[in-house]
Amino acid sequence: MSELQHSIRRQRKYLFYLLSLFFLGWGFTSAQSIYGGLILGTVLSMCNHWLISRRILSFSFAVEGEQKPPRLGTSMRIATAALAAIIALRNPEQFHIISTTLGLMAAYAVIMIDFGIQHYIKRMNRKEVK
Amino acid sequence: MGILAAAIAVGLAAVGAGVGNGLIVSKTIEGVARQPEARNTLQTIMFIGVALVEAIPIIAVVIAFMAQGQ
Repeated sequence: MSELQHSIRRQRKYLFYLLSLFFLGWGFTSAQSIYGGLILGTVLSMCNHWLISRRILSFSFAVEGEQKPPRLGTSMRIATAALAAIIALRNPEQFHIISTTLGLMAAYAVIMIDFGIQHYIKRMNRKEVK
Repeated sequence: MGILAAAIAVGLAAVGAGVGNGLIVSKTIEGVARQPEARNTLQTIMFIGVALVEAIPIIAVVIAFMAQGQ
């Protein structure tokens, strides 16, 4: 399993933790529309994360095998964001639009934070070896 | 007017994302062709780069729908 596949699996795990926290907030607090929006955004963000990871893995395999690389599917991910926005705008009582947008950014935030943490760990390990 | 604003927001964001993604992918392929042993690292960096680039058009799409609704 490559480094990227490991990090994708780890990020997916973090996203599930985040989603479970949002479900707890939705179930046990009065701010249901905010947590509803966060849940909607995070679920669609996880779909986006799955799509991007699948496309990039198949892309790198195609480059390695000298085949025609597939498209990265940006339009698909933008369409997912549009779907989230439409759902949130049509049901403002259940889904808060700003929190839906924040939820859509969850996967990207997780990717960047995870990259930062892994980079820091690698740097510390290199210092210890020296 | 709202529809025009939405169209401009999504269009410009999509153009930016397209150019950004193109640059990331071309440089990654160039790097893999030069150093095939660095494929894993380049793949991870490409993944993060594509994710970073795509965050902006996603926000733009939501803002466009909000502008269209008003």
